Amino acid sequence: MAAPTNNPKSGGWRTILFRHETILLLVLVLEWFYFNSVGPRFGSLDNTYDILRHSVEIGLLALVMTPIILTGGIDLSVGSLLGLCAILFGKLWRDAGLSPAMAGIWTLGIGALAGGLNATLITWLRLPPLIITLGTYSLFRGLAEAITHGADTFTNFPASFLFLGQERWLGIPAQAPIFVAVAVAVWLLVHRTTFGRSFRAIGFAPKGARYAGIPVERRIALVYVLAGIVAALAAIIYTARLGQAKADAGTGYELFAITAVVLGGTSIFGGVGSVHGTLLGVAAIAVLNNGLVHARQPREVAGMLTGALLLLALSGSVVPKMLTTLWSRRQTPPASIQPTEAA
Amino acid sequence: MVSTANSTSQYSTNRSCMKKFLALLIVAGLAAVTGCSKSSESSPGGSKKLTVALLPKSKGNAYFISCRKGADKAAKELGIDLIFDGPTDPDPAKQNEIVDNWITLGVDAIAAACENKEGISTALRKARAKGVKVITYDADALPDAREFFVNQATPQGIGYALMDETARLCGNEGEFAVITGSLTAANQIEWRKYVEERRAAQYPNMKLVAVRPCDDLKDKAQSEATALLSAYPNLKLILSTTSLGVPGAAEAVKQAGKTGQVKVIGLGLPSENRRYVKEGVTDSVILWKTEDLGYLTVYAADALARGTLKPGAKSIKAGSLGEFEIQGDNIMLGKPFVFNKDNIDQFDF
Repeated sequence: MAAPTNNPKSGGWRTILFRHETILLLVLVLEWFYFNSVGPRFGSLDNTYDILRHSVEIGLLALVMTPIILTGGIDLSVGSLLGLCAILFGKLWRDAGLSPAMAGIWTLGIGALAGGLNATLITWLRLPPLIITLGTYSLFRGLAEAITHGADTFTNFPASFLFLGQERWLGIPAQAPIFVAVAVAVWLLVHRTTFGRSFRAIGFAPKGARYAGIPVERRIALVYVLAGIVAALAAIIYTARLGQAKADAGTGYELFAITAVVLGGTSIFGGVGSVHGTLLGVAAIAVLNNGLVHARQPREVAGMLTGALLLLALSGSVVPKMLTTLWSRRQTPPASIQPTEAA
Repeated sequence: MVSTANSTSQYSTNRSCMKKFLALLIVAGLAAVTGCSKSSESSPGGSKKLTVALLPKSKGNAYFISCRKGADKAAKELGIDLIFDGPTDPDPAKQNEIVDNWITLGVDAIAAACENKEGISTALRKARAKGVKVITYDADALPDAREFFVNQATPQGIGYALMDETARLCGNEGEFAVITGSLTAANQIEWRKYVEERRAAQYPNMKLVAVRPCDDLKDKAQSEATALLSAYPNLKLILSTTSLGVPGAAEAVKQAGKTGQVKVIGLGLPSENRRYVKEGVTDSVILWKTEDLGYLTVYAADALARGTLKPGAKSIKAGSLGEFEIQGDNIMLGKPFVFNKDNIDQFDF
């Protein structure tokens, strides 16, 4: 865990309790209990699967957004890229006559290319990722609209393909295993490899990372290409879930993903954060959105509460940290080596 | 991981502490799951209130807010629960998500105005498979995804109403021009076809002199109307078959100083045209009563959920509005409504 409190060793339970992820987990559990008490069907397995099904696409985007933000970057183009990949997938299947599987593979390749475009521009031009991806945000959506003239939609996909988005496999939503696989892969990449450590190093101090011999450009390129591939994957799952690919697919998803990442405790300045935090962030927002329906509250409350939750969680993790620091100053703990990683 | 013996032990207590904490949470969570599944079994009782869920294309749209008014009234009369919810942001997947949520929530009937015809049909089919009754209103889904569509107006009804109003205002003779959204838009072509059919059959002394496209832009409609005014000095009326064309043409007539001399009518929202109607530039705007649409939709959804409305029915009774005809699987709202100076203030959409 990379939470940079000045003295993380002061009292084991206290650091754990005040850790951002723990607070978020508590919030999630509270949400769950509350909605379960007001909505009789909220806690049902069906509903849990619904929540999972509806959060897979944004969850995937949030997962790959985490390493990007860890490096101090951002990718505003993932939502637009989802839209572009969705309609290209539709085109490859319907107009080029490919099977959904082949079209899917090509779409992943296109996603990688689009991510590569972001990566190339960011590392070659050395412009802030915010500006580059703001450009590709418009570019990808514009391409999607131009290709379909804003009106063409792709439907009537074969049932075998729709299975991926709408049916259950071994009792669980068919897209869930894919999501879990990507989550595990990204978690391992960020928390168990030198890549992950270099992302944080770059986020903390890009120059320092370079002096330390980290190939900064290549590492940065990696996270954007990864985001492109996973955005394409999200596009395929989205298309399968709706049974329709249209140029407006994924509108605004980049902001949902960023919200989940930041809510999960990743610093927007880079260097600090975790993948499990992001997962909790995605879950907290998804449960809130779904639970409000079961509490029969109007949908617009969800936006308000998501904002409040974000602000609360952020300040909630800062205040205890300050307290912990104060506490440890009084106790003057023994100097020791901080554990580098903890799940 | 290299560390001293001291820190290793601290690290492991750190970890085991967290494990205990997590274990506690999981246990609490499991307890809640089992607790809840018991309570949900016992809840569905005998005399349960029906719940109808009404899905607009978007929640903030004045058109649907006005539909809701009628729907609320119907729900009150019927003594049922009405849920009105829809997307607030332009995410096309939101309608599906809402329908999915309603399925788990266990509503009895869903009435949807569909933004994405094919997209939402997957969710509506799922609802039907789970025993939820589904109807559509305002904008239809695929036919197999719903049982009835509450059809607010047929192209024939719209075309005839527009032509009747045109003829009435012109005294059954003279020249008129049409402003259309685009020359290729299918719905506009169909409406014009019925305008022409009605004209040929009933008003042979009326003459359609020009059809101009305005690309659904108000300022383009205004410049087209200005051109029409100078090109056809005997023009008596401009008819717009697209909603933004009506205020556009009205502005042109007003600026040309021909208020009253050249009349303006068309298909549009009362709110967009109120000003011109009150100034006497626009004579009437034609649309359907959106409140009645919401009202009828809720009555139909209720009847379907109770089993009193079955496929093949020829008519349906909707409270104070009386009987409505059913053609096939289309419940017809009836003739379009004419908004004019006398009644336009009663409508706020």
